[in-house]
Amino acid sequence: MRRSKRFEILEQRPVNKDGFVTEWPEMGFVAMRSPNDPKPSIAVENGRVIELDGKKRGDFDMIDQFIADYTIDAKVAERVMAIDSLEIARKLVDIHVSRDEIIALTRGITPAKVLEVLNHLNVVEMMMALQKMRARKTPSNQCHVTNVRDNPVLMAADAAEAGLRGFDEEETTVGVVRYAPFNALALLIGSQTARGGILTQDALEEATELRLAMLGLTSYAETISIYGTEQVFVDGDDTPWSKSFLASAYASRGAKMRFTSGTGSEVQMAGAEGKSMLYLEIRCIMMAKGSGVQGLQNGSISCIGVPAAVPSGIRAILAENLATTLFDMEVASGNDQTFSHSEIRRSAKLLLQMLPGTDFIFSGYSAVPNSDNMFAGSNMDAGDLDDYLILQRDMMVDGGLRPVEEEHVLEVRYQAAKAMQAVFDELGFPEITDEEVEAATYANSSEDMPQRNVVEDLKAAERILREGITGLDIALVLAKCGYRTVAERIFAMLKQRVAGDYLHTSAIIDKDNVVVSAVNDMNDYRGPGTGYRMSAERWEEIKTIRQAISPSEFG
Amino acid sequence: MTSSAFAIEMKLNECGPAQKGHHPHEVVIAIAPAFGKEMNKTIVKVEHAAVLREVIAGIEEQGGAVRINRSLRTADLAFMAHEAAKLSGSGIGIGIQSRGTTVIHQRDLDPLSNLELFPQSPLITLETYRAIGRNAAAYALGGSPNPVPVVNDQMARPKYQAVAAILYLKECESIVPEARPVEVMAEFKIVG
Repeated sequence: MRRSKRFEILEQRPVNKDGFVTEWPEMGFVAMRSPNDPKPSIAVENGRVIELDGKKRGDFDMIDQFIADYTIDAKVAERVMAIDSLEIARKLVDIHVSRDEIIALTRGITPAKVLEVLNHLNVVEMMMALQKMRARKTPSNQCHVTNVRDNPVLMAADAAEAGLRGFDEEETTVGVVRYAPFNALALLIGSQTARGGILTQDALEEATELRLAMLGLTSYAETISIYGTEQVFVDGDDTPWSKSFLASAYASRGAKMRFTSGTGSEVQMAGAEGKSMLYLEIRCIMMAKGSGVQGLQNGSISCIGVPAAVPSGIRAILAENLATTLFDMEVASGNDQTFSHSEIRRSAKLLLQMLPGTDFIFSGYSAVPNSDNMFAGSNMDAGDLDDYLILQRDMMVDGGLRPVEEEHVLEVRYQAAKAMQAVFDELGFPEITDEEVEAATYANSSEDMPQRNVVEDLKAAERILREGITGLDIALVLAKCGYRTVAERIFAMLKQRVAGDYLHTSAIIDKDNVVVSAVNDMNDYRGPGTGYRMSAERWEEIKTIRQAISPSEFG
Repeated sequence: MTSSAFAIEMKLNECGPAQKGHHPHEVVIAIAPAFGKEMNKTIVKVEHAAVLREVIAGIEEQGGAVRINRSLRTADLAFMAHEAAKLSGSGIGIGIQSRGTTVIHQRDLDPLSNLELFPQSPLITLETYRAIGRNAAAYALGGSPNPVPVVNDQMARPKYQAVAAILYLKECESIVPEARPVEVMAEFKIVG
């Protein structure tokens, strides 16, 4: 066949490097509606759910049992299930129906019913519903701060810059596992150099992560994964009960935590049982609710290539974010993994969460270049920061970030690197040279950093765990070395875990150490003029980008 | 990917339950349930025959001995390879899934820990498979080689993740529940 020139050009477009597949429902390769999804039903006897979505109690798997016993309120279930799904869907977008009314309904709803409700909504309706149902009124954002060499000086400087740019949560992970304590330390010092109150996390194997949180080197966690089929749970040697136990361990030590789940994971692990991705994800959301955790990171996360490849897959991801808010939980709504080569496609996907706002629009905007992102890249990275700021300005939407002055960025990066230098010196860790401080101040990526002695660094990093060096020890060292402000901010974060206020749903901590959560900043959207409206001060901040020229500059 | 002017034909003969080996320098390669059978190519369409031949060549040129097992009850890379390591006289095993994902394992490690993991199957070349064989043999001989360099590409997910899931699902269709691994004899013939 002689080729069409237009088709040849289209084939070169980035979007055609993405993977697309047709549906395969028997294997769960279907986004929101599989012929094998159960039909909604409920039966209650003596205050106990005895039938759930067409299955009798004797046939329940462990997920059905967990949801029936811990998530669904048997007292209201039969009443709620009698309401037509389309009517519930309409209530979601009706500005005259309050968030509270919806939450009251979802106490008695089954997974298959949630699926039916969501299938009535198009993406615009889902965005309308998300705007109302998000738990915290004020939207926020979380970032990734990592680098391929786990360079602690660069990591602290990047964490400081991310804090200045407005991220309320910062998450890191490791290239080499033994570096983990250094990464937690770098994030703690860097973030608190920018401002007090930023929550930090070191994403690791669960036991190590919990240990670093208990030492006060990190303040939140979101690596506790749950899955929508029993088989995938069993393969991972886990149950909803074991995950709930771990969640309690964090809470008992005053560390914020949320679960992680997402569409596509059960397909990826060949355990989808022919159900739609969204149905399985709704079960995860309801498990998170039943286990009592305050929130969930979802939005497909690391399996996004699977739903993104099938029809309506990006809509299913928005649907899972919305479903999380329906159960009155915080949602960190994904966008934290690369899913497309197409700039158009990745912007379009982002807008579904950015425009209505979520508790955390990204569960990890890459505050570093994607080449340094050890979570395997994010939908947007450091190179997209200006585009993101301009999107906020174009649409008068609060995406959680703020324009920054280069001079301030350099200053805060320098201060973070200097504080790390002082702490390393005081604790007898391998020297951080002035050359490294300088490089970290001006760097874009780890390629701009001098090499460190990895073997010596790893030995020192291991000392943190072996000797049990705590957040308090770090604060004392910083105070002694003259970094009093950072020391006080770290101390203030340690006090937060005693008070425990930031274990409330959707909690973030502002620069004055005040917890802002769904308790004191509850979303009250009821149509135009209500809910989150940008303050004059915030709009001033968002619209003042450095690139804008003033007409008065011309003659 | 190396392109060859010739093709390799592979015949895999299954001959009874896999045995525990006693050769101190052997590496046991665990191939996945569908490898070279219901499936014949990796995710980037490299023939399984070429993949297996390179791994074997790598082991042999380093002075190691080779046995091949087919995993039947699991297609999970970690568990396949760990099972092979436990059956290996040296305690070193390699796991290869049909899509090409590969790991070097050791019997004393936890299943989800490993010596070297090559998680991004689309990025593994035939040269890399050979180097994996060499390193596995080096471990079997008691050495501690430099790890084979791993290539990372954050855009591999958008391009290949869905395909990877499909291939894994197809692989899982060949699983025989509860079945022990079987010993496999491989014959290679160069044609064309």
